[in-house]
Amino acid sequence: MSTTTYGAHIEEPVAATTVAHVSQAQALPDVLPPVKVRGRVRTFIHRYPTMAIGGALLLIVILMGVLAPLLTSYDPTALAPARRTRAPNAQYWFGTDMLGRDIYSRVLYGARVSLVVGFSVAALASIVGMTIGLVSGFVRWADSIIMRVMDGLMSIPPILLAIALMALTRGSVGNVITAITIAEIPRVSRLVRGVVLSLREQPYVEAAVASGTPVPLIIWRHILPNTLAPLTVQATYICASAMIAEAILSFIGAGTPPIIPSWGNIMAEGRALWQVKPYIVFFPAIFLSITVLSVNLLGDGLRDALDPRMAKKL
Amino acid sequence: MFAYVVRRVLSTIPVMAIVALFVFSLLYLAPGDPAAIIAGDQATPEDVERIRAGLGLDRPFLIRFGEWLWNVLNGNLGVSIFTNLPVTRMIAQRVEPTVSLMLLTLVLSISIAVPMGVLAAWNHGTWIDRLIMVFAVFGFSVPVFVVGYILAYVFALELEWFPVQGYTPFATGFGPWLNNLVLPAVALGGVYIALIARITRATMLEVLSQDYVRTAKAKGVGSRTILFLHALKNAAVPIVTVIGIGVALLIGGSVVTESVFAIPGLGRLVVDAILRRDYPVIQGVVLLFSFTYVLVNLGVDLLYTLFDPRIRY
Repeated sequence: MSTTTYGAHIEEPVAATTVAHVSQAQALPDVLPPVKVRGRVRTFIHRYPTMAIGGALLLIVILMGVLAPLLTSYDPTALAPARRTRAPNAQYWFGTDMLGRDIYSRVLYGARVSLVVGFSVAALASIVGMTIGLVSGFVRWADSIIMRVMDGLMSIPPILLAIALMALTRGSVGNVITAITIAEIPRVSRLVRGVVLSLREQPYVEAAVASGTPVPLIIWRHILPNTLAPLTVQATYICASAMIAEAILSFIGAGTPPIIPSWGNIMAEGRALWQVKPYIVFFPAIFLSITVLSVNLLGDGLRDALDPRMAKKL
Repeated sequence: MFAYVVRRVLSTIPVMAIVALFVFSLLYLAPGDPAAIIAGDQATPEDVERIRAGLGLDRPFLIRFGEWLWNVLNGNLGVSIFTNLPVTRMIAQRVEPTVSLMLLTLVLSISIAVPMGVLAAWNHGTWIDRLIMVFAVFGFSVPVFVVGYILAYVFALELEWFPVQGYTPFATGFGPWLNNLVLPAVALGGVYIALIARITRATMLEVLSQDYVRTAKAKGVGSRTILFLHALKNAAVPIVTVIGIGVALLIGGSVVTESVFAIPGLGRLVVDAILRRDYPVIQGVVLLFSFTYVLVNLGVDLLYTLFDPRIRY
């Protein structure tokens, strides 16, 4: 995505100064270090190692989920009581659970649930939260009402809020996404509202208001581009916490229905046996942790890249 | 000062009212008709209607909300659908393990995380700093129950240093109580430690670049005095804020931790209530946790004036 611009930025100015040097001075000193020419990918990795590592890990997990049918020859939901609770071996890489299902294929398919929930919640919470934040930042009379409601929602711990909402409905992936999204919206709207309020004081926004620019155009031209950076960073963190929330909900039996293999479900099923068959719990646990880690690294990298002042501190 | 305290205390009322409204709506919107359930399969529609009127279920939303709120304010959270016991009594039986777990986690996390953050800021840019920050990223990424299972596997199953599961009441003795709670507290504290360490480091870095710190250094004040007397005191406000906000993580995490370690606390109560669709219990626990969270953050806000006398509202 941004690799092209960075590649161009590095090479062009160097070339330009060299030309300037030649025209002004008579000869270049021999000791000038040779200009390093790296490929775009390598430049990116060198500049943003955290983002590169996080992105690569996440890509692997995405491929794992997408290509799940190609990576395993077992049906993740096929019951086979005859071969239940086998320890990991050459045939069943991660072993089998108490119903004889292959844990390796269940973990592969489980990646789909985590990724779908993580990405959907991040996208939905960002869109809804941004809309609420924009309204709150621009419509004075609505602001205090909206913010009181958000304060109220924020004072219910997010997991508890999601649990309470899930208690009202059947367990399904869609309901899990809705419940976690509602729990995440207040934080996003607070963030966007804060950015909007500080932007409204900026001279260029005041100038736009003074010259009679209609509000929607001001939002489109001046506000949205400036909220995008903090919102993108926030969205990655929301994605990470949504994945954990889905696993927690499924783990306590209030999330994804047991028919669908998800990492939380596999762990919930292995819970009763974990002291004798710890691998049932540990394989999904490891994959969940790696996936959340990759998204968090991506978020940290994005934050550092988008706000270099913060990078020195955090 | 006094006016500020009064205003801040009053400002929690609308927040709590919204929480109460949400929690009440939970029961209001809950699927299943209590009147039909009580009436049984043989009842005619007229019977169901009569029972509904008898229970007051046919009255408007706001009147029922007012009545419910009045009961809550009088300490009556209703009766559990599953056990027929008053919800307040069920909660009272489960409070001790959860409060024990949270307090221990709080003490443990703060005493580990703050020195960690200070150490990282003081050694900014070195491998110590990097190691602590890597730890923080892992703390954010590895979910509570994963940490819980790993700890339980290593320290309880393999090394047998601590019991695998369960809870010992404080009345039995401090030793057994602590022994049973150490692993859950460490597991629950993971994210919290990461959060506090990170904010401590960030604020300390900012404070350490201030002129008065440079002056203190210049006149030969020892580094320990600078760190803990000059810097940490001035960095206290954001750190305490995050400690308050992070209590939400502890509450959410306790639900899972209590399930992993089989601790008979409020988290376990709410999980059981969900599986049984026992709405009054879910309501009661959500309400209690949220009010506690609001009060903790009220306390934190009032603490500011102690840490930073410049704050005058």
